[in-house]
Amino acid sequence: MSHPKLASIFNKDEQKVNWHDKALWFVRHKRDLSVHQVKGWETLRELGHNIKAHTLSNLDNYLVEFETNALKNGIQVHWAANAKEHNTIVHQILEEHGAKKVVKSKSMLTEECHLNPYLEDRGIEVIDTDLGERIVQLAKEPPSHIVLPAIHKNRHEVDKLFQEHLHTKPCDGDPQYLTQEARKHLREKFINADAAITGVNFAIAETGGFVVCTNEGNADMGTHLAPIHIACMGFEKLIPKQEHLGVFLRLLARSATGQPITTYSSHFKRPMNGNKMHIVIVDNGRAEQLGRPDFRKSLHCIRCGACMNTCPIYRRSGGHSYDATIPGPIGSILSPGKDLTKHSSLPFASTLCGSCSDVCPVKIDIHSQLYKWRQIITKETKQPFVKKKSMVFMGKLFSKPKQFERIGKIGRWALRSLPQSMINAKPNVWGKSRDLPKGPKQSFDEWYRNRMKKSQ
Amino acid sequence: MKVGLFIPCYINQLYPQVGIATLELLERLKVEVVYPSGQTCCGQPMANSGYENESEGACKNFVENFKNFDYIVTPSGSCAYHVKKHYDIIEQTPSVKNVRNNIYELCDFIVNILKIKNVGATFPFKVGVHKSCHGLRGLRLGSCSEIVGDSYSYIENLLQEVKGSQIMPLSRADECCGFGGTFAVTEEAVSVKMGKDKIKDHLDNGVEVITATDTSCLMHLEGLINRNNQPLKVMHIAEILNSQIAETI
Amino acid sequence: MGSRTDILNKIKANKPDKLALPTIDPYIFNEDLDLVKEFTKKVEVVGGNVYPISSLDEVTLKINTLLPNTHSNFSTLENTTGFNTISMDVIKRPHELEDLDVLVLQSGLAVSENGSIWVEDSVLPMRILPFITKHLVFVIDERSIVPYMHQAYEKINDFNFGVFISGPSKTADIEQSLVIGAHGALSLSVFLLK
Repeated sequence: MSHPKLASIFNKDEQKVNWHDKALWFVRHKRDLSVHQVKGWETLRELGHNIKAHTLSNLDNYLVEFETNALKNGIQVHWAANAKEHNTIVHQILEEHGAKKVVKSKSMLTEECHLNPYLEDRGIEVIDTDLGERIVQLAKEPPSHIVLPAIHKNRHEVDKLFQEHLHTKPCDGDPQYLTQEARKHLREKFINADAAITGVNFAIAETGGFVVCTNEGNADMGTHLAPIHIACMGFEKLIPKQEHLGVFLRLLARSATGQPITTYSSHFKRPMNGNKMHIVIVDNGRAEQLGRPDFRKSLHCIRCGACMNTCPIYRRSGGHSYDATIPGPIGSILSPGKDLTKHSSLPFASTLCGSCSDVCPVKIDIHSQLYKWRQIITKETKQPFVKKKSMVFMGKLFSKPKQFERIGKIGRWALRSLPQSMINAKPNVWGKSRDLPKGPKQSFDEWYRNRMKKSQ
Repeated sequence: MKVGLFIPCYINQLYPQVGIATLELLERLKVEVVYPSGQTCCGQPMANSGYENESEGACKNFVENFKNFDYIVTPSGSCAYHVKKHYDIIEQTPSVKNVRNNIYELCDFIVNILKIKNVGATFPFKVGVHKSCHGLRGLRLGSCSEIVGDSYSYIENLLQEVKGSQIMPLSRADECCGFGGTFAVTEEAVSVKMGKDKIKDHLDNGVEVITATDTSCLMHLEGLINRNNQPLKVMHIAEILNSQIAETI
Repeated sequence: MGSRTDILNKIKANKPDKLALPTIDPYIFNEDLDLVKEFTKKVEVVGGNVYPISSLDEVTLKINTLLPNTHSNFSTLENTTGFNTISMDVIKRPHELEDLDVLVLQSGLAVSENGSIWVEDSVLPMRILPFITKHLVFVIDERSIVPYMHQAYEKINDFNFGVFISGPSKTADIEQSLVIGAHGALSLSVFLLK
């Protein structure tokens, strides 16, 4: 279903929209309070942008440098061209070690590759250990936000879900109790896991190591208990040097939640004695996006989610209305690169207000890219007949002043003279909830001509 | 100083009073204004809908009308922004470059070119400023809440000097109203919800009149206000700056 | 090796012309703040507590008053043998640390802008320790506090595993309500040595 359809379904429950909007605005507000305290914040964004731009311009060499250093560190490196290859590699590693129980911390890449169902089909238990991700996993839903996966669920829904799946007591949605119960439930999963899968926030070419950020400590609980650690990363997660972490770790959490840094910023460089550490480097459409000059900056993204929290459309339509792994503004410029037809409504799910670009910690020109995708979509995908014809008509109209004047006159007369019931009838979507302006007798043009005549 | 006045298509047809106020205001500020008669539209409606190519005729017509002016002034941040940012689709002749460099939104022109802050207006009402997005984040007519830096606002600079008017602070000072051109129709549900929330913010903060640098946002808000019989008026900033209302009506 | 060559070739063909790598000048962020004050403030913001101490001898005593009646304690500090109830020599698997109540670690690097403390595996007999313990206590010399992350990374050299820890573990995944104590430590205390 298209974004407008899913968004209008979401909007049937206005209370829920209000609640969702407020919850996310609260996060945006916390971000504001936090970043406005940082001296040189805008310079920091500029640095983040330029480090990423540089890295992409030398990415093949940095990837080789990373690989060389990671191998030296005793990390096994794998390369996957697409989701299928990624899933096969992960499954093979697990199979080699006879791993049947896997704990996984947050990784949008594994969502993108649909790793969970792939492994589950092959008899492997995969438990998402981030609380929000566990909630949506129990509800059999995809995350609706990349940082706050269960933001669309209220506490009572979580309460019910936990009663059903974790056999908790009814608690009137007490977050403290529910979190405690999740801790107990997941502690048992950590203790018994054969392998841990994590995402990667940053991989460092210079050191061959990588960084994983969490607030809950779930990535560390998984990786330091299980004998196998598999880290999955899209290749754009690479940065050249360790010192660049100083820039990105200052930007990431402040933009995401307003915290000065995530609780845990874990730097993995070498496996523990006797343990195995694997890293899977994934393309899955990224190289193609790199080849699109107008859209390659979308690969700067550090997945903070700030563009979702700030987006007035996201807040009022919910993450699921985007029907894409990554929702919101950043998803709307990434997804069309993967499947233009399926995601053709996403670049239009914006007023081009530009808040996303201004909030972005690495200064991705998100709203400009939305505009550019629109131009491509109207050329390359099937468009509604009426929309296309009316645009061609308007284009012609506005290039011929005389015609514009004549049509304007008719339009004003109609607005002035026709009954409201007719003006606001079904084909006029504008009029469903809004009145149209009253058509004035005189246009500005006419007024101006009269005035000139009088003064002569 | 040769100044050309651009009146956006929908203002020309639906809100002539905004065009009139703009012209009268500029004349009162001793600016010699010419209104070229062959003008239509900047091309934005087609371009933002993904039909940039269909807007070429409008762009060329615009350039033809305004190529010989030192400044082009318009009561729309959105149209000025469109000319500046998106007129890269036509050949960059000296005329096109001239037009792109010299187009100004009205408040920007008064504050930064005329260097006037007090325009001598009287408007005894509680005013809520809607900071239209293209003017705010496109033309940077004011600071926005996302960016860290000094706070400023051209529209508020001018309003502060208007006798009798009181600027009411909002809880979400620069949230989009949800108009967004064809977005208002293609994403009707979200557009309407955004507009309703925006109006509620103004009402909750005691606003009597919502003003903006763009009539398009105001048209959307007015449509909702009128449909729901809410105690609010909308007026373009030019109308307020051109106002001599002495007492509360 | 999978698709290594294909991926690298594709990137080579699609990447833009080389852009310059910017240099980071940490000076522009400098606010000349009182590092101890700022660090203390930030630790509290992220849900931890700071206690000034004047000598290492105070540590054990203070823990006993702050966290009384704990059963399983471990400290990497010297001269706290009376405090330790477990010996790392007999722990074979990290899983056996599941009931650890209190862990005391010393760190030589902390960051004032975010209240984070750097720990690396050279001071960790087992990597799981600071995550699996119920209560985490750090002992830090005031002089190890640096202002920003930029200065922190200048001090970090080689390690196998290292982590910046800022406060106790937390989540706000249920309706944005902050709950302290997700999977990691339930509390974090910092003893700041003058």
